[in-house]
Amino acid sequence: MLRELYQTKSTQETEALGAALAARMQESDLPRYIALYGDLGVGKTAFVRGFASVIAPESTVRSPTFALVHEHRGKELDLFHFDMYRITGEDDLYSIGYDDYLTRNGICLVEWSENIPFALPDAYLRVTIEKCDADHPDLRAICIEEVAAC
Amino acid sequence: MLILSLDSTAVVGSVALCRDDTPLAVFTVKNGNTHSETLLPMVEAVLNTTNTSVADIDLFACAVGPGSFTGVRIGVATVKGLAFGREKPCAAVSTLEALAENLVPFEGIICPVMNARRGQVYNALFHVENGVLTRLVPDRALSIAELERELAARGEPFALCGDGVDVTTAGFQTLVPSAVSPLLADQSAVSVAKCALRAYQNGEAVSDAALSPVYLRLPQAERERLERNNETKE
Repeated sequence: MLRELYQTKSTQETEALGAALAARMQESDLPRYIALYGDLGVGKTAFVRGFASVIAPESTVRSPTFALVHEHRGKELDLFHFDMYRITGEDDLYSIGYDDYLTRNGICLVEWSENIPFALPDAYLRVTIEKCDADHPDLRAICIEEVAAC
Repeated sequence: MLILSLDSTAVVGSVALCRDDTPLAVFTVKNGNTHSETLLPMVEAVLNTTNTSVADIDLFACAVGPGSFTGVRIGVATVKGLAFGREKPCAAVSTLEALAENLVPFEGIICPVMNARRGQVYNALFHVENGVLTRLVPDRALSIAELERELAARGEPFALCGDGVDVTTAGFQTLVPSAVSPLLADQSAVSVAKCALRAYQNGEAVSDAALSPVYLRLPQAERERLERNNETKE
């Protein structure tokens, strides 16, 4: 099972890490669902921006806090960018068509997955982004790990 | 009476033109959730092939749920758009009732199941009496375990249909459903038309403005899961 730790020193490096993961996902059978964990402003959307630059280069990535989900048409795979910050339960998930997205041929990137532990798929990638050094506020520890139900 | 009916509440998309009980044309695809792109071209193909115009339709019918949130909305919005301004009646059909109609005249309990994810199904139970479908319980969302308990208590042979057949059969501990043709498992707009005609004859047709989606949500599942998640945190 995949488990990798990285440090990035800037937003650009976080984006590049997202882009690198996207390139690997195109060439492997990694789960096409990425649950993103991390505090406000830690760089989750930057990671997604980098990821989208590979999968759907025409698209502009913004935080979907208001719309809850943004769809990006990709070259081969579509990309569905969720923000679960305002999601509190099954009813909310249903009314954004969450399960419909899981059955489509695309990649789901899900910010604030903390809010939907009950609805994560059996297999997914967990990406955790954290500030790791108070003296270097731009430094990030990023963990990418594969999670699968036993 | 010419009936144009459709079902886009799950992966299957289906459009039919019927004259009363008789299907004139059916167009069904099972090609992923792309109803927003495929449903109207399917309607057009059904109408063109039969040399029918939208103005000829006497009754518009639609499976209004339960089902996928986007699928339900696409179907209802499409029928509303077609019927808009025509003063023609519309019939709102339960997806589950239409699925059950596929299995008439099965002797026993007809048990349509749609996969509502995370161990839940959308379900209702039906009997056939004198060739007519009779509802035993309202449409609901429940766990597969609850459904098995209820069917066991009823103690009759039962048949499953719908996109939840596999997940339900696998989830049952002991009960075994009666065998039916898998051809009958999927949503069919012809069955929607049959239910719609019955609704119309019973005076249950509505205006296009009154046609509404029916979402069966999962408050119980939500409550249970939140409790379970709290337990694991503690």
